Amino acid sequence: MAIEIQVPKLGLTMEEATLVEWKFGPGERVRAEQIVLVLETDKVTYEMPSPGEGLLHPVVAAGSTIKVAQVVGYLAADEEELRALAARFPPAEGEAQTPGLPEASRPEREAEQASRHQQKRVLASPLARAMARDHGLDLARIQGSGPGGRIIKADILKALESKPAPESAQPRTTAAGAGALLSVSEEIPITGIRKVIFRNMHLSLSSQAQLTLHTEANAAAFLDLRARMNKTGAPKVSFNAIMVKIVAQALKQHPRINASVEGDAIKVWGQIHIGVAVDLGRGLIVPKVRYADTKSVREISAELEKLITAAQSNTLGLDDLTMGTFTITNLGAWDIDHFTPIVNHPESAILGVGRIVHKPAVEREAVVVQPRMALSLSFDHRIIDGAPGAAFLKTIKDLVEDPLLML
Amino acid sequence: MSERILSASAALAEALHEEMTRDETVFILGEDLTAHAGIFGQFKGIPEAFPGRIIDTPISETCIAGCGVGAALTGMRPIVDFHFSDFVTCGMDELCNQAAKIRYMFGGQVNVPLVVWCPDGAGLRAAAQHSQSLEAWFVHTPGLKVVIPSEPADVKGLIKSAIRDDDPVMFFQHKRLFAREGPVPEDSEFLIPLGRAAVKREGKDVSLLCYGSGFFICMEAAQALAREEIEAEVVDLRTLKPLDMETVASSIRKTNRAVVVHEACLTGGFGSELAARIQEELFDELDAPILRVGARDVPIPFSPGLEDFVLPKSDSVIRAAKRVCYR
Repeated sequence: MAIEIQVPKLGLTMEEATLVEWKFGPGERVRAEQIVLVLETDKVTYEMPSPGEGLLHPVVAAGSTIKVAQVVGYLAADEEELRALAARFPPAEGEAQTPGLPEASRPEREAEQASRHQQKRVLASPLARAMARDHGLDLARIQGSGPGGRIIKADILKALESKPAPESAQPRTTAAGAGALLSVSEEIPITGIRKVIFRNMHLSLSSQAQLTLHTEANAAAFLDLRARMNKTGAPKVSFNAIMVKIVAQALKQHPRINASVEGDAIKVWGQIHIGVAVDLGRGLIVPKVRYADTKSVREISAELEKLITAAQSNTLGLDDLTMGTFTITNLGAWDIDHFTPIVNHPESAILGVGRIVHKPAVEREAVVVQPRMALSLSFDHRIIDGAPGAAFLKTIKDLVEDPLLML
Repeated sequence: MSERILSASAALAEALHEEMTRDETVFILGEDLTAHAGIFGQFKGIPEAFPGRIIDTPISETCIAGCGVGAALTGMRPIVDFHFSDFVTCGMDELCNQAAKIRYMFGGQVNVPLVVWCPDGAGLRAAAQHSQSLEAWFVHTPGLKVVIPSEPADVKGLIKSAIRDDDPVMFFQHKRLFAREGPVPEDSEFLIPLGRAAVKREGKDVSLLCYGSGFFICMEAAQALAREEIEAEVVDLRTLKPLDMETVASSIRKTNRAVVVHEACLTGGFGSELAARIQEELFDELDAPILRVGARDVPIPFSPGLEDFVLPKSDSVIRAAKRVCYR
């Protein structure tokens, strides 16, 4: 009996996903727990382990949008069953039409898929390639006139004609020169986590009216609190953990900040789930500290550590990443003071934490050296007016300067 | 030095006269030679001029080839007439296992200055056993040289060099070309060195690499192509082994495209070898795949209609040339 490959529900709100890639070709043997396909939701990229062992018969092509619980393929026990499956369920379009023995070995398929991923392979005659190399032309920018779009000598000559003289003897006036002055050294497809960020950032700025307020806080007490907590021998607490706690307390005092726009209404959330932006190197994700207002700094610190480790090993679930109510992003490690963070849509505000730096400040009419923390708050001006936004930021500033007020 | 118009047969006869006059060790060995001066008239006048130096043998190619090898080893310069190149299989051991390897086996102490003269090719309605083009077999045998002239002047210049060469030379002359006429130098020292190709028509768009009967197909094709503004360069290889890769390369560097043309069937033919060499040595010069034009992979049919169908024609060359020119 064939095993069904079904789209898993990766999070409470997940309804559909994109089938990014089949890791095996039609007819190839897949063993249980091997990664058989890659899904991409609007939050995560998920490598799905095979539910069993068998010969793969995909019925949904890579690139398709799929629903939760949809059957996207089957695993046949043997060749005979594979043929029966192929007859009953037409194979995925774009995949090999004849199920049976794999026509290409795994590495070949991967290479093929990789190149398909990047873009269509450039066809060019050996001479055209050599000429392009000699003249520094990018074949990807040249239209081929040979069979199947193959770039041939004539196409290179045409491209060279439109290329300006290499020396600056002539002023560069024509737009045609752009092809030669600019060449692509690497083309990175916008997929996976980058695509998610790409969409969300644009969605945020295009749907909200955002503005950013800046202030600065004396961080002496804040630093002192952290130092005292970390002296005890218990696991150390991070800056971010204390900030999460401070923000959670501030949100309790300013519930209208802890809200989203849905349809024609402002929905003020009953819970406080604070996301902390984590840079993975390849992109940014925002795991959530749930019910942050009910947790101690130590609990928050331990939870954050766990979430960041999971993020780095790509094992965060969809539930760890969705349904936040507020976000903190911290660029202090890069010596940034103030910045204008973009709200993590559909939330309505985000706190940008800058570095803590010692600098002169005026205290009781005397110039003293203080550790100063830069704070920036971006919010959706459609639903949060300037004054309430500023008041919220002031509360944060006050709590940073005197964390005992949280009690 | 002046030239006359001679047939390929007459050019061969003239060359043999000159070489037999020049060197008394040169003699001819084969079937039915004296009565008709060779079945294609290629030895015209020789039986009269050189009695005893053109010898009729029994009908045994093994014997003829063996005699040739033996005579060459003892200091003679025999020319062995194989009557039809198709019969060469009966002398295969003598040619490929003995003549080709003796100098090597004896550490260079002896030479085998033997010319194996083989009329070959199809188009005479002579059926599958008298119509083959077998040059690739011998190109594949280290120790043999392989020469295939096309025009009468090449016949003269190349047979003289073959006779004077100290190694065994397979000399293939197409049966249909014996009567074809062309200018031939009178010079008795007119020699075409083995291993030198000739660019016989210059062009910039595609190199037609050919030899023997393929040369005439290519010249015809080149004329037709010129009417469509494709200038084909026709390179007559003349010697397949040693191969004049230098001339081939300089032509391809100019045209960036190559079509190899021969009458022999396609699979495993010399075109495959040449195409392989070109892509190995001139990959970055190629603007199109190297195409081959040859006979279909079947025994040459007796039926005239079928024989014509199987053999490559100028149309086949034109099609291939256009394809590599992306036209």
